[in-house]
Amino acid sequence: MEHVNTADGKREVHVAFVGNPNCGKTTLFNALTGSKLKVANWPGVTVEKKEGSAVYEDCNLTLIDTPGIYSLTCYTIEEKVTRQCVMDDDIEVIVNIVDASSLERNLYLTLQLLELGKPVVLALNMMDIVKERGMEIDLHRLPELLGGIPVVPVSAAKRTGLEILLHAVVHHYEEGPSSHVVTYRQDIEEKIAKLEVVMQARFPDHASVRWHAIKLMEDDEDVWREHPVSVTDIVDRNYEKDIIQQKYQYIETIVKEVLFHKEKKAAFTEKIDSVLTHSFWGVPVFLMIMGLVFFLTFSVGDFLKGGFEVVISFLSVEAETILTSVGCAGWLISLITDGIIAGVGGILTFIPNIVILFLALAILEDSGYMSRVAYVMDGIMGKAGLSGKAFLPMVLGFGCTVPAIMATRALETEHDRRKTMLVTPFMSCSARLPIYVLFSDMFFPRHSVIAAFSMYVIGMLVAIAIALLMQKFEKGQENESLLIELPEYKRPNGRTIAIYVWAKLKDYLEKAGTVIFVASILIWFLLNFGFHGMVTDASDSFGAVLGRWMVPLLKPAGLGMWQIGVALISGISAKEVVVSSFAVLFGVINANSETGMQTIIAHINAQYPGFGPLNAYALMVFCLLYVPCMATIATVKKESGSWKFTGAMVVFQLLLAWVAAVLVYQIGSLFL
Amino acid sequence: MTLYEGTKDKSYRVEGLFVEEAVTRRLQALGLNDGTVLKILNRKKRGAMIIQVRGTRLALGKHISSCIEVKEEA
Repeated sequence: MEHVNTADGKREVHVAFVGNPNCGKTTLFNALTGSKLKVANWPGVTVEKKEGSAVYEDCNLTLIDTPGIYSLTCYTIEEKVTRQCVMDDDIEVIVNIVDASSLERNLYLTLQLLELGKPVVLALNMMDIVKERGMEIDLHRLPELLGGIPVVPVSAAKRTGLEILLHAVVHHYEEGPSSHVVTYRQDIEEKIAKLEVVMQARFPDHASVRWHAIKLMEDDEDVWREHPVSVTDIVDRNYEKDIIQQKYQYIETIVKEVLFHKEKKAAFTEKIDSVLTHSFWGVPVFLMIMGLVFFLTFSVGDFLKGGFEVVISFLSVEAETILTSVGCAGWLISLITDGIIAGVGGILTFIPNIVILFLALAILEDSGYMSRVAYVMDGIMGKAGLSGKAFLPMVLGFGCTVPAIMATRALETEHDRRKTMLVTPFMSCSARLPIYVLFSDMFFPRHSVIAAFSMYVIGMLVAIAIALLMQKFEKGQENESLLIELPEYKRPNGRTIAIYVWAKLKDYLEKAGTVIFVASILIWFLLNFGFHGMVTDASDSFGAVLGRWMVPLLKPAGLGMWQIGVALISGISAKEVVVSSFAVLFGVINANSETGMQTIIAHINAQYPGFGPLNAYALMVFCLLYVPCMATIATVKKESGSWKFTGAMVVFQLLLAWVAAVLVYQIGSLFL
Repeated sequence: MTLYEGTKDKSYRVEGLFVEEAVTRRLQALGLNDGTVLKILNRKKRGAMIIQVRGTRLALGKHISSCIEVKEEA
């Protein structure tokens, strides 16, 4: 093989990480490359391929992490992405990560990868679970039965066996491909041989002729399209079933020879499942777990925020003193203290809530419970025409809508994807949290946790109700096609959780430093400048002009105040900006503090006498339901590939938010 | 009988898959073929079930389980 040399004299090797969903590809990838990609214990976390690099001996390795797949067919988006990546001529070595605790199923993909004719290294992950279950794997016999490829036991989580794996990758790369492993029934082998001749004649430079021949036998659409050979005389029918069965027969012989005493079962997982997937208690238990997550988020988060308040107010006072002492212009001081510190700093005080929320979600995701949620919610989702799997993006939506929308890729049909994309934004994301915390603390001082928690319940109910309505409208059938793997439960890994929470916290800080920062400056400008330059009274500003235009629209919802109009419009950039806007609007340094809240309430009441809990609740409902943020809109456009769909979604969300807020206010007014 | 009619904690042998082509292929890739033995670990009265097959736990919706023809395994 030809070696590509780089400037530093090292060889370049491209390695693809391929394996079943949830076998630990990304954990291994992170361990080798030092990347911090998201890892969790449910199938389908990785939906895009990602690159990283590592150096070993005289090689520069480019490692490519791929979405998990069960088979090299191309029925789902993940399969297409991974298959394309593996087939790429650039890929010189395939590292096939195998969950040793479910060797039998994992080897099916292995056998397909071997047929590609590229060098394959088998990384046996989760050997500790194998041991715990009282099983043993014959590490001498296994490679013999797989055409002599290197088999390396690794622990991605404990970072053992990594050096040996890289050694095998580099070494095997030099050795070249291994011979073919599975021999099919005679009639099939004869046909494969004939197809190989035809393929070789048409495509002389082809690298994996046998694999393509087999795929032609399986009637693979993509292979037919790319290699339009006329072989109808050879392929008289679809041989896929035969080929799959014979692969599994071969696997059965492997398993019989290499896997010993399987009697001790994973009693641990079964015990937990008897409660968590109970046919009656499953749903209440799920709701209780989510309730606990939000309770912790609000109560512990609020308890911790005191520390942040001190820092922010200190910063603001210091900044003003220093800026004044160096003789800064008044407008600049105003921009920095009333614009930036108020807008961005206020948002930072919600960090404790955000961290607790993501900590709880990380533990849920890494424990193995997520797949069970799909099973537990399958009945309810089925009535809405979606499989229980569609509930996974919705749960992710409690964290952030953007990755949640991307997670819809794991769903089987385009119809299900779009429907899930439409309802996922109603799940309250962490950006809406500051709004709930602030307004429930201000207007429901004694029941703030309940008021905030009710937003999550309403969001979830609205999402399911919309899906149910669509189902009625489409006259669709109940969806009962759930198909998802339930992984073993495990103790959440500290490192995984740390990576997860840190990544989310970083996103939040980045957002505060970019979108919220810019939005705060813009809002400050809109409120301090008017048609005649800088204004002293905000009601002469551009912002007021803009906001006043919205007052008649917002009046029926009890929100007829130009400041609210401004806050809601700017909230489309990012939902936290609604809170920033209030801070900038009323010149509050830290909205999330006792004095800050008092100032905001006083200002609101001066503008809108009688603005009480009901108005605040209508505002919270509006914020829950209207357009999540620019990033979500962009993601929906990217994932749906349709401006029409994206536009319709935005209009729908605006209308729904308005109707719901009006209903809350009007009906509430009858009673209060 | 179909798998849907099966009871918790009992084992069955697959006799045929009669579900849409795409789902069939997916089930086959997961190791659910004619002759495969599986066990029902848990089930809802009318709805999805959890089965164990080839050392893996799978959740199957009602539609899929009622399209899998099985025979009880002694």
